[in-house]
Amino acid sequence: MMKDNYRIASYCHIKNNEISLNGALIFKGEGPFKTFIKMAYQHFAVDYPKFFKMDNLSKLAFMAGDVLLKHEKVSPEQEENIAIVFSNRASSLDTDRKHQESIQDVTAYYPSPAVFVYTLPNICIGEISIKYKLYSENSFFIFDAFNPDYLFEYSSSILDSGKAEKVLCGWVDFDEENYEAFIYLVSREGSFIHSTEEIKRLY
Amino acid sequence: MNKGIAITGMGIISAIGNNVEENYSALISGKTGVSKISQIATIHKNAIKVGEIDLTNEQLEAQLGLTPDNNYSRTALLGAIAAKQAVANAQITNMKDYRTGLVSSTSVGGMDMTEKYFYQYLEDEAVQKYIDGHHAGDSTQKIAQQLGIDKSLVTTISTACSSAANAIMFGARLIKSGKLDRVIVGGSDCLSKFTINGFKTLMILSDTDNTPFDENRKGLNLGEAAAFLVLESDEAVRAGNKKVLAYVKGYGNANDAHHQTASSENGDGATLAMEKALKVAGMQPEDIDYINAHGTATANNDLSEGRAFQRIFGHKTPDFSSTKPYTGHTLAAAGGIEAVYAVLALQNNTIYPNLNFETPMKEFNLVPQTQTKEKELNTVLSNSLGFGGNCSTVIFSKKP
Repeated sequence: MMKDNYRIASYCHIKNNEISLNGALIFKGEGPFKTFIKMAYQHFAVDYPKFFKMDNLSKLAFMAGDVLLKHEKVSPEQEENIAIVFSNRASSLDTDRKHQESIQDVTAYYPSPAVFVYTLPNICIGEISIKYKLYSENSFFIFDAFNPDYLFEYSSSILDSGKAEKVLCGWVDFDEENYEAFIYLVSREGSFIHSTEEIKRLY
Repeated sequence: MNKGIAITGMGIISAIGNNVEENYSALISGKTGVSKISQIATIHKNAIKVGEIDLTNEQLEAQLGLTPDNNYSRTALLGAIAAKQAVANAQITNMKDYRTGLVSSTSVGGMDMTEKYFYQYLEDEAVQKYIDGHHAGDSTQKIAQQLGIDKSLVTTISTACSSAANAIMFGARLIKSGKLDRVIVGGSDCLSKFTINGFKTLMILSDTDNTPFDENRKGLNLGEAAAFLVLESDEAVRAGNKKVLAYVKGYGNANDAHHQTASSENGDGATLAMEKALKVAGMQPEDIDYINAHGTATANNDLSEGRAFQRIFGHKTPDFSSTKPYTGHTLAAAGGIEAVYAVLALQNNTIYPNLNFETPMKEFNLVPQTQTKEKELNTVLSNSLGFGGNCSTVIFSKKP
């Protein structure tokens, strides 16, 4: 097939209180993640109240997705067939722990449905899909470390088989206070070659 | 390309019967399986009604000939019984003569045992065996063992209330793509405090019998059940000169991208799923003779599903009914249970009554079938709509 014909249109990083788009810093915040991500939300005038109900992993993935898709002029009104393939190492452990704490003590047993709903990592894909009205294919994989070979093969295969026009792909990891997002959009057009080497370089 | 996916066997255990015949006889005589809960000690016992299977775990274990040291959850017990019935019904004597897989679905898995023994797990060694039986995949592995399926594709699908429909769809696709010749597909879910309390918290449990598509519906009754179908390829059917009960003609799974748990009120997910299934089947809406609706009797589902009917069928919605008043909502198993009912409807040219219906909903003029009705049926559409708008449709037909 024509795997080498795909391109990476844009990519976005979020880590160390910085957000960058296509390698250029576009926002620098401060404080713990909670403060930083709220600053980013205000800076980019996201205006999406559901954001505040999300768990940390979803906030991280949503922010990266929002920055990138806005840049790519994707809008909820115009239906696009963009698949989402994310991966990480810590699954939804950050929220799993919060949920576990709420049921650990028999005498103070108070689980919250609002927390429980985020005890799966792929919920963050749902948050992006809901905002951008994506009815497309999606998958979430858990790896020991960033796995560009797998992501490359998987997104190429989605595009080869015609299941989607584009693939929003990458790594979104949140554990304790350590977080990192690196996502990119694979498309038929773009400035970067879609190859394992290039994904590694951009990462 | 569009190979026929034949159904050659079915098995079921539900609140209205321990096998296919008992289920059918209850369906046409309007006999419900919904009652007060008896097997689980819950503080909600007077506030809910459920579709419970009369047999105790001990009776089910005896049926399967299990030794006392087994660690089967009720989900695994029910699943193994229904799956064995299906295999016997398809007259399969040798699992190895074709590439045979198992796709089973569940939402609670071994939660029934975990909630029973959770606080004993750390100290009491005798009950620790159930820890291994907790995860959803364990019930599937046990069913595979019971059927003698090994070194083949054995997998579990857990997508809430659309699970078993997705298992059927996945099985059909495995055959269509030539990966397997025969796939046993379905689902199993037992009652548990986990689901009772969960749905109670969501405030969608009715304190009386559920009334699908009724203006005054108060929510759902939970149920427990298991059902499996044997799907076979054209070649396997021909080679074995097998009797075909019906065909899986079309299927579709969609998501409405609306909310993490609720379904969109205008029925986006169900509409997309039905559209896709019709497309795969190569059919038009008017080709559908009967719809076995998801119809859980929650405010959200029936409104959303009814609107989807109108969007697909316009003013000509075919006869439809929900069988949830018989069995309760059996969650991950529902798509399997209702697949068996759809095949029985085709075989007997009979539509089941939507029990407990009195008042049409004010949002539209959709009235379900309320009496048992005999009518030539060639095609039945079955909906399974899950939380979060994960919606699936399967279309069954008499002809390939």
